[in-house]
Amino acid sequence: MKLMIVDDSNVIRSRIARIASNHRSIKITEIKTVPDGIQAIETAQQLNPDVVTMDLTMPQMDGLETIYRLMKNHPDIKILVISAMDDKTTAIRALQLGAIGFLGKPFSDEELLLAFLDITEA
Amino acid sequence: MAIGEISESELKLFIDSIINYFKKTTNNEPKITSAYLGTQDITGFEFNGIVNFSGSYNGQIIVSMTREILHSLLIIQEEKNLSDNNLLDITGEIANTLAGNARKTLSSGFDLNISVPTKVKGYKIIKSKTRQHPYIITLSWLNFSAMVCVDINHLHI
Repeated sequence: MKLMIVDDSNVIRSRIARIASNHRSIKITEIKTVPDGIQAIETAQQLNPDVVTMDLTMPQMDGLETIYRLMKNHPDIKILVISAMDDKTTAIRALQLGAIGFLGKPFSDEELLLAFLDITEA
Repeated sequence: MAIGEISESELKLFIDSIINYFKKTTNNEPKITSAYLGTQDITGFEFNGIVNFSGSYNGQIIVSMTREILHSLLIIQEEKNLSDNNLLDITGEIANTLAGNARKTLSSGFDLNISVPTKVKGYKIIKSKTRQHPYIITLSWLNFSAMVCVDINHLHI
């Protein structure tokens, strides 16, 4: 499975990568991390990821716009939104655009792992 | 358009949110040591994250933290890069998390916007930009100190 992590926080990108790659039931062949939506779209063209974790509040292009653009070109990608903007309206909008999971920040390692397993098995 | 004070329950959102951040991330709750109206300029700590609110609320929140508390937060998250850039990064992320979580209760949807965090290194003098006197929340975690400044007002349109 190829994973792309999109988040403007370097610390959060590392943490997600560590948790996902340390779990034996998640078979990851390649991980790319990017800090904004524009780089996410460029990287997705080369990587063709199976799973994407997506922050929403980011510079350059926000997460909702990025989900819309990614889904247009890669409709099979499974997107897990990981964001502090965890209000109902935003979550529904993200799901309407094609995300299949939503995890609010802050999150524990266990919560991230469960959300990750949910969407990889979906 | 009229400007309204934020209520005690709205202020409590930020207190609950900072407690929840530490609890979720470290399994260890901070102690809130004070919450008061800052009637004078206040010197913050070395690492600062600022998020601006616009729309139905106007203003900013500032998260101000010491190097020591941020080091510990990164180590607990198994982060090996303890550079100042990463200390600033996590300070901005905490400010973003508090603002995003507050938005859920303060807003019914897209009528409240929050900015990406601005990160500032250096002992910042916290001056009120929106309210006459901002709310200051101080906390202690593993005997390290930190501060959250809530400087927002409610706009009644």
